[in-house]
Amino acid sequence: MEINGSSVLLFKTNIRTESDKQLMTQLMQQHEINHWTVDQDDVDCVLRIVSNELQLNDIIALVNQHGYQCEELT
Amino acid sequence: MNIHLYLQLNQKRMRIRDVNKIELVKEKAVELLVEVGFEGFTMAKLAKLCSISVATLYIYYKDKDDLILQIGLEETKKLSAMMLEGFDPDFSFADGLRHQWKNRARSMLENPLSCKVIEQLKTSTYQEKIFESMSETFKQTLGVFMDKAVANGEIEEMPMETYWSVAFGPLYALVRFHTEGHSIGGRPFILTDDILWSTFNLVLKAFKK
Repeated sequence: MEINGSSVLLFKTNIRTESDKQLMTQLMQQHEINHWTVDQDDVDCVLRIVSNELQLNDIIALVNQHGYQCEELT
Repeated sequence: MNIHLYLQLNQKRMRIRDVNKIELVKEKAVELLVEVGFEGFTMAKLAKLCSISVATLYIYYKDKDDLILQIGLEETKKLSAMMLEGFDPDFSFADGLRHQWKNRARSMLENPLSCKVIEQLKTSTYQEKIFESMSETFKQTLGVFMDKAVANGEIEEMPMETYWSVAFGPLYALVRFHTEGHSIGGRPFILTDDILWSTFNLVLKAFKK
């Protein structure tokens, strides 16, 4: 899905705690993913990434590798 | 049909549909916030109310905080614009205050839900981010108006809080009685033009030197 010409990638995750989020911050920095947020108020802890280069599966694999659940939010 | 024209029309239609969707989201978000408050508000409840997927909401907003902040900002902007519409700081004191009463009464009576959300926001953690920009706009027009009335000798010099309470306190009380449908002691109440403007005349008298 797109907004202002950029793709928005959305995932259901279990990035639930502050330390989960810190780990995710490191991970995103390492992979130079700058435009990301995670809604920890939401039951699905929605991870939102704005990027034209990344694919859904890249993110799912990356987050899964680090022991977190991650699937496309539909 | 010419393919370019078709694509152009199709694009236009898609854009309109998106705009409508965003408007629906904003309208329902205000309703839901008033109904369940910030704590009870969730993206899932809002998506259900709008009959759209949660994912669609996340296309437009980063998270619940972002959504409440964006919508809060828009609602306060909308109401501020209505309050200041056609206002000129060069009005005489009586004309300017009358104009303010007319605009404020209209904006509050026509947008009861927006007013409720704004009241909720004023006592929330979003308060600072939302009202900072608004208070500057008001200071520039209404502050100038008050200072000018003092300089012209139309009203006495007084603290801004005294001015505001006398100028608008009665109006806000009347509007609240009206919105709640009753006044002191549960007396049924409807705000009429007669009551509005006779109260206004008393306020004006209070300011007269």
